[in-house]
Amino acid sequence: MGRHIGHLDADCFYVSCERVRYRSLQGQAVGVLGNQGACIIAKSYEMKARGVTTGMPIWDALPLCPDGIFIKRDIEWYEVLSRRILEIVRSFSPAVEYYSIDEMFFDAQGMSPDDAKALQQRLLNQTAVPVSVGVAASKILAKLASSSGKPFGCVYAVEEAVVRQLLHDRPVDKITGVGRGSRLKLESYGIHTCEDFAQADRRLIRRLLTKRGEDLWWELNGTPALPLNTTRTAHTNLSRGGSLGIATAAPERLTGWIARNTERLVEALDHHCVYCEQLTMSLGFKDGRSASQQTSLTATAGFQSLYLASLRLLAACWPAGRLVSYMHLIAGKLTTRQNVQRSLFGESDPRQLASDRVKQLINQWHGRFAIRSGATLPLDDIYRDVTNSYDVCDVYGKTCF
Amino acid sequence: MCFGIALPMDALPENLVLQHQQRVVLREPGTARELRFLFRDPQAELPTWHGNQLAIYSWGNRDDKGSRLPRTGWCRQESLEAGRWQYLHPEPVDIPAIMGLEKGVWFLIPEGIRGILVRDERELPHVYMLTQPASHYYQIMTRHDRMPVLLGQQM
Repeated sequence: MGRHIGHLDADCFYVSCERVRYRSLQGQAVGVLGNQGACIIAKSYEMKARGVTTGMPIWDALPLCPDGIFIKRDIEWYEVLSRRILEIVRSFSPAVEYYSIDEMFFDAQGMSPDDAKALQQRLLNQTAVPVSVGVAASKILAKLASSSGKPFGCVYAVEEAVVRQLLHDRPVDKITGVGRGSRLKLESYGIHTCEDFAQADRRLIRRLLTKRGEDLWWELNGTPALPLNTTRTAHTNLSRGGSLGIATAAPERLTGWIARNTERLVEALDHHCVYCEQLTMSLGFKDGRSASQQTSLTATAGFQSLYLASLRLLAACWPAGRLVSYMHLIAGKLTTRQNVQRSLFGESDPRQLASDRVKQLINQWHGRFAIRSGATLPLDDIYRDVTNSYDVCDVYGKTCF
Repeated sequence: MCFGIALPMDALPENLVLQHQQRVVLREPGTARELRFLFRDPQAELPTWHGNQLAIYSWGNRDDKGSRLPRTGWCRQESLEAGRWQYLHPEPVDIPAIMGLEKGVWFLIPEGIRGILVRDERELPHVYMLTQPASHYYQIMTRHDRMPVLLGQQM
């Protein structure tokens, strides 16, 4: 018997999590909105059946689904259930990859179709979250299998005939890692379906999609090429930021966002025990344009150094008066704290280090942002809304995003 | 603001449900029925927890021009705090709801809504829903600049 990999994908996960605590939502058309209240970031199958799609603004969804019920996302709650699911899957399998908040790969060696169904049922009984499960010879096949069984399906795609059926007529962009650009390239060579992809010449796939594409080819043909990552590989970059909600050109609000994103970045650097030697600021403007600037730093994870560097980057990439909609701070050239070379010019101010440490301890004890930089005061509206304090990037340990 | 609320049928005692059969609605086939209370209903009413009792009272004062009660269904929290309702001796009440309706958008309400109960000239109780300036989220979702004061977590 060859190696078997399982893939578990929670069905409309955010909606299912809301149904766990609000039972009256069972069977209803439900849409989960992002923090701005504008776009649908997840929807139930009932809402999907009415033509509502992910990313659709609520004002476009309403005419399609006037009786739909809208809820604000709550990532912190979704993580609680995600971790419970992870724990249960770990009790079934010796090796589990925490792929994303609602997806996991696991070693399914020796797992029969009945075992896979038992896992699915146990998850439903113990978390009330329905999941779809796929078991196959490789990660990519297992993911296609679970996706083909949605919702609440359990597809055991080990027999050759089942695998062939799975790949037949399935559009090639259903393969994880084949995006729009890759699909267009493949289509120009007559590769439209997963079956076409699996049957194509391996060297052609490598030429078109590099080694990543070749790995997918092996995986689709039942030879594992992608490892099961039970721990996350080290980050090359860490990024914090996102939409500013209401676009702004007010310097004090932009400074507030810089302080907020810097504090979040410092938290992530501390969590991963790394320093950064490079900082990039990326801005998206309301008129659709964007700008970014980068600077080198002495290895640091200190708030003050990163905040001051960010202010300099803002001055370099923001034409005063232009409305800013998005801001990202990206820490690059990450080095583990053990490996960093001691510098004469590094984070040497003991008072600053002590104040960072005190801030960290208080926030660990009293909750995130219980103590924060005074520069964030103009963003009081953002901090008052508790759901802003937790984002999907704050769910650590995932191997995907 | 919030022009309507819904709550599951089993949230009300059977006798109250029987008295308000016309409010029972099935939102989605195969799901539990719910009761809807809309300000535009022939009789605008709201379920209310007053003391330890759950009852259904008039929702503000929509039609009675002769009454001393304000001709609205909502009470601004700011005006309540400024004492402008003091002459009516308002009592705090909770309005049980699991969903609210504003400009066609049904949104989830985790626990319920805060309200006040005042009495008219005949000592009959009327309930006003408390409102506050809308959060950015609520404003974008419903396109309204006021939102109900919710019990528990704000949105």
